[in-house]
Amino acid sequence: MNSTSTHFVPPRRVGIYEPVHQFGMWGESFKSNISNGTMNTPNHIIIPNNQKLDNNVSEDTSHGTAGTPHMFDQEASTSRHPDKIQRRLAQNREAARKSRLRKKAYVQQLETSRLKLIQLEQELDRARQQGFYVGNGIDTNSLGFSETMNPGIAAFEMEYGHWVEEQNRQICELRTVLHGHINDIELRSLVENAMKHYFELFRMKSSAAKADVFFVMSGMWRTSAERFFLWIGGFRPSDLLKVLLPHFDVLTDQQLLDVCNLKQSCQQAEDALTQGMEKLQHTLADCVAAGQLGEGSYIPQVNSAMDRLEALVSFVNQADHLRHETLQQMYRILTTRQAARGLLALGEYFQRLRALSSSWATRHREPT
Amino acid sequence: MQGTISCARNYNMTTTVGESLRPLSLKTQGNGERVRMVVEENAVIVIGRRGCCMCHVVRRLLLGLGVNPAVLEIDEEREDEVLSELENIGVQGGGGTVKLPAVYVGGRLFGGLDRVMATHISGELVPILKEVGALWL
Repeated sequence: MNSTSTHFVPPRRVGIYEPVHQFGMWGESFKSNISNGTMNTPNHIIIPNNQKLDNNVSEDTSHGTAGTPHMFDQEASTSRHPDKIQRRLAQNREAARKSRLRKKAYVQQLETSRLKLIQLEQELDRARQQGFYVGNGIDTNSLGFSETMNPGIAAFEMEYGHWVEEQNRQICELRTVLHGHINDIELRSLVENAMKHYFELFRMKSSAAKADVFFVMSGMWRTSAERFFLWIGGFRPSDLLKVLLPHFDVLTDQQLLDVCNLKQSCQQAEDALTQGMEKLQHTLADCVAAGQLGEGSYIPQVNSAMDRLEALVSFVNQADHLRHETLQQMYRILTTRQAARGLLALGEYFQRLRALSSSWATRHREPT
Repeated sequence: MQGTISCARNYNMTTTVGESLRPLSLKTQGNGERVRMVVEENAVIVIGRRGCCMCHVVRRLLLGLGVNPAVLEIDEEREDEVLSELENIGVQGGGGTVKLPAVYVGGRLFGGLDRVMATHISGELVPILKEVGALWL
């Protein structure tokens, strides 16, 4: 009983990295729990307010304690009566079927609990970081990090957690296949998946921006080192090229020329968007500052500023559009193998930034 | 005066320098021809709401390429009117809704910032601009 419950309070993020292994263990625990009739113990630890499962559990225990002994009592007599054997077999099958269904439901419950746990951990991390950077400033609320209140943002954060997991998996895969032998068709499908994965992030960000554009712009969903490079809610496309370029095999003259052009186009597009953002800041400041001094009412200024701020969502979307197009153009220029190396380099770059963030954070905490 | 539309004609090959710098104000009261004219006589024109930041982005991007586009800024109260006029002109492949900001190249609707950005990154934009004579080099 105690040994099983320890599985449910895993060390940080074990569930994320070893889901398959965990499931195996949970499956075992499930069996032993059934026989003991103590399934509710671990459940209460992990999902205290889940009534549905608790109902299942009460059924379980009644079945386990009342049903089983009864069957054992009949053991001796049934062997001589074929119809009784048939009945027992049928009962057995039925019990097994129910057990399988319960197991399935149980595993599903565990899966949702796991997701909840991940989400809670992320929230905890962020709350810790915010406390770290903002201190206990009086204006914590006015910073606009209302993610616990906003369901769109909560969903985004969870999706982003999964996104990073999936990216880590893809990077591993690319790393493995690039060291071994793989044919171009298989490699191409890996590369296209990795590209699609980035595009998926842009889609997620676009709906998150609708929910709370300030949150997306703040980069609070990323680690601190990634945030350091933040430009309109994400990475700079020109940074992406800088990261990729040293990792290519020999480029042909045409490819070199194309890459140079792309670099320049990227820079121009970035500059244009940056200037647009500056203009937005100017007009917003003008809006807010407009009107007579000491008027008392802020309503007209706030209303017109709200209208101006709508543009912020388009900026996030345009910046992602630029990232999208840059990735795609890069893929057009490169061969499949080069693109695979490029995507691996990019993925490892982000992984290193994330590692840097956590190392830095722990280094910072040590002196106190 | 209600609902004026000003067109800062910063670039136009056929006009003199002095004229091209003068902001052009035009009234479109029941006169779609004026909008059509402005669109047709400029190699590249950006049309958007007054003070629109995305317009600014498009203009800056084109300026970076060496094209100085005309910019038509529309006041909010005239938006519907101008949009319906725009929908009658130069839409590639027949009608369709025009979204602001809209870029017209060679008198035809080219698209919004999305299209400008995508063609810019893929390297298709400059040849198109050269084709309509907005860019020589």
